[in-house]
Amino acid sequence: MTPQKITIGRILERVGFYFIIAAIIIFTLFPFYWALNSSFKSEQELFEPATYLPRNFTTISYEGVFSNGNFMRALFNSAWVSGATVLLSLVVGAFAAYALGRLQFRGRRGMMYVVLAMTMFPQISILSGLFTVVRDVGVYGSPLSLILTYPIFTLPFTVWVLTSFFKGLPDEIEQAALVDGATNFQTFYMIMLPLTAPALVTTGLLAFIAAWNEYLYALTFTLTTPTSQTVPVAIAQFNGTVMRQEPIAEVMAAAMVVTLPLIVLVVIFQKRIVEGLTAGAVKG
Amino acid sequence: MAVTRTLTQSKDVPASYGLGLTAIALLLLAISLGTLGLYLQSVINTPAIQQGLNGEIGLVLAVLDNVGLILPLMVIALDLWLAITAVQMLRGSADAVRWGATIVFWLTVGAVGVGIFVFFQQSAGNEIFGIATDYGRGASAALPLLLLAIPTGIASWWMSRHGDIINRNQTLTSRSTRMAWNLLLPTIVILIIVAARPLEETFITSLTDNRFGSSDPVSFIGLDNYIQLLSFRIDTVSCRRADDGTCTLDANGAARWELIDRDLMQAGYRPLANIPISADQAITISGTDGDFLQSIGNTLYFTISSVSLELLFGLFIALVVNSKFKGRGLMRAVMLVPWAIPTVVSARLWELMLRDNQSGIINKVLLDLGVIGASQSWLTNPNLQLNSLIMVDVWKTTPFMALLLLAGLQLIPSDLYEAAAVDGANRWRQFTSITLPLLRPVIGIALIFRTLDALRVFDVFNVLLQRQKLSMATYNYEVLIQEQQGGYASAVSVIIFILISIFTILYMRSVRIEDQ
Repeated sequence: MTPQKITIGRILERVGFYFIIAAIIIFTLFPFYWALNSSFKSEQELFEPATYLPRNFTTISYEGVFSNGNFMRALFNSAWVSGATVLLSLVVGAFAAYALGRLQFRGRRGMMYVVLAMTMFPQISILSGLFTVVRDVGVYGSPLSLILTYPIFTLPFTVWVLTSFFKGLPDEIEQAALVDGATNFQTFYMIMLPLTAPALVTTGLLAFIAAWNEYLYALTFTLTTPTSQTVPVAIAQFNGTVMRQEPIAEVMAAAMVVTLPLIVLVVIFQKRIVEGLTAGAVKG
Repeated sequence: MAVTRTLTQSKDVPASYGLGLTAIALLLLAISLGTLGLYLQSVINTPAIQQGLNGEIGLVLAVLDNVGLILPLMVIALDLWLAITAVQMLRGSADAVRWGATIVFWLTVGAVGVGIFVFFQQSAGNEIFGIATDYGRGASAALPLLLLAIPTGIASWWMSRHGDIINRNQTLTSRSTRMAWNLLLPTIVILIIVAARPLEETFITSLTDNRFGSSDPVSFIGLDNYIQLLSFRIDTVSCRRADDGTCTLDANGAARWELIDRDLMQAGYRPLANIPISADQAITISGTDGDFLQSIGNTLYFTISSVSLELLFGLFIALVVNSKFKGRGLMRAVMLVPWAIPTVVSARLWELMLRDNQSGIINKVLLDLGVIGASQSWLTNPNLQLNSLIMVDVWKTTPFMALLLLAGLQLIPSDLYEAAAVDGANRWRQFTSITLPLLRPVIGIALIFRTLDALRVFDVFNVLLQRQKLSMATYNYEVLIQEQQGGYASAVSVIIFILISIFTILYMRSVRIEDQ
């Protein structure tokens, strides 16, 4: 490219461009900033006209959140439910994805369509059926009901994304292993699976976020058992230490507590997450 | 096919394994007959089916309502397949022997897995029903399954020890086919339990008058639930006239309209909306379930507005971020933040920001800028509620849309733009004749993706509006959980399912799955 002359017009264009970037960043981050800001205000201050910085900086809301037994239990439940769901989906999903991505067999296309259709499955429409199944199996009201039902949205998605990663691996490695006398299964778990480790991390992360954020099933299956509730339900029905009014500052502090780990993960893995999100959607 | 046949039917299983294989085949045969018998017995012993057999309630309905079709058909098919494999093993088919190895393996895994689950499920106490934890109960329930795992486990171990001989001479295709179905089996089982079976249950229940927590027997009512949900009619009404024959106006200066006929009101129709067509005539839409039709309207309005705004903003952001500048990686991380925040959390966040006085930042900013004259009640004013939710949704998902489109933009080769620039095309021209056409498939997929998401919106409606205004999903939830009307709620579910399926089919047609 030829060196460009620095003209007033070019500078203005540049300034305008960064102005737009700044506007996008403010649009994106402002609500998040607002929650942070509010979480350091006192409950009284939140009822006065809003200010951009807390006038009386206080961490009392965070103290309230961390001493709130229900909320801490919800954090634990969420971690355990999401963790178990991810583990289950990854193990089972990696098997299926290897079959769909690398093996040739009759019925492959049909299964691919089933998996793809399942990624779009409307969770609400099986709520009543699932309610019956969950009750019949006897896990209604326990975190187990969530671990058993969450694969409905994490599993098809995991299979779909992992399949596209498996497909992208070169054939030579697999053929070499087979020639060397490895069985199909050995080739799968000793050679192909380690190669997809980065993809497993990405999909696991996406599945974790999906399970961590899920609300409908969590609300339906644990409505009557506060001890089994996950974070979204706890935050939607937050009761503070003072029962008279809704403790908004504490809700915001709780929101920060559950969101910060996700944001840290997102910043670290942003490249992979975008790849994972678009693998299913754009490349097909 | 002929080649495979000769290979597999020939005597490539050495005679010395005959005894072991015969034993395993007989074991499979026994399991096949045994499980079928036990399953049928457990079905017949279900109280509701007993009632059906005694003629107290319809037998067909009792079976459909309690066991459905998927599970019995699967049990029968699997047992049949087991029996056929066993018989073919006895006749010396090597292919059947290989499938037999697969079957005993999964029987062992299944028996142990289900056994462990049954142990914990039966042992666990339940606070709601006042049942105490009892490991003895769990152990006795799980014991038969664990006992079953012993012979199949031994068989599986024996066959894997002699795998080299059993597996020789098999074609590559049959090997990878068996391997593939082995790997797919857990996924298929999970999807049947958590998706297919509940879906079937929903369809069947939607045809009944089932109510949760009611002891009345369920009866089959055909499509009544659907008729009640979807019946609507369109009539014309005239304005309400004052004594002098002019139309009366309400406080806002809008005309007041007559109600629909009393007969219709008695049949359950309630007016939903009036659309004026002239000064003294209006079209009235009325339905038998106003709440549901209203929720469809709300959901459609929400979907169309939010998805089109997201596309517009998303495209704009994607185009901006697609140019090279410092901090682009950081920008992408920033854009992921709203997507990563749980929807419930973002709803609570906006609940605070949208407060109806100056303690809500949105009101304060708009007042300071002079955009609005007085604080608005964003979440309680019926005219603003849906638009507020759209604002929340646009904030949360525009960045996601932008990221999808950005990925599409990056697939467009840059030399196209260079060539266009050489030819003297300006930026706008480049956008309309290169970017848009090449981005169209990605835009299409992103639109369907978002539409599907928006149609099933639940979280924001539930948290921000509770029961003030309903989406289809929150309506379904209210009917199911709050009103406990199982049959009616299932009909709502089926309608949502069908609606979403249409979009899913559209989506699948836009994604090609190539044949390898």
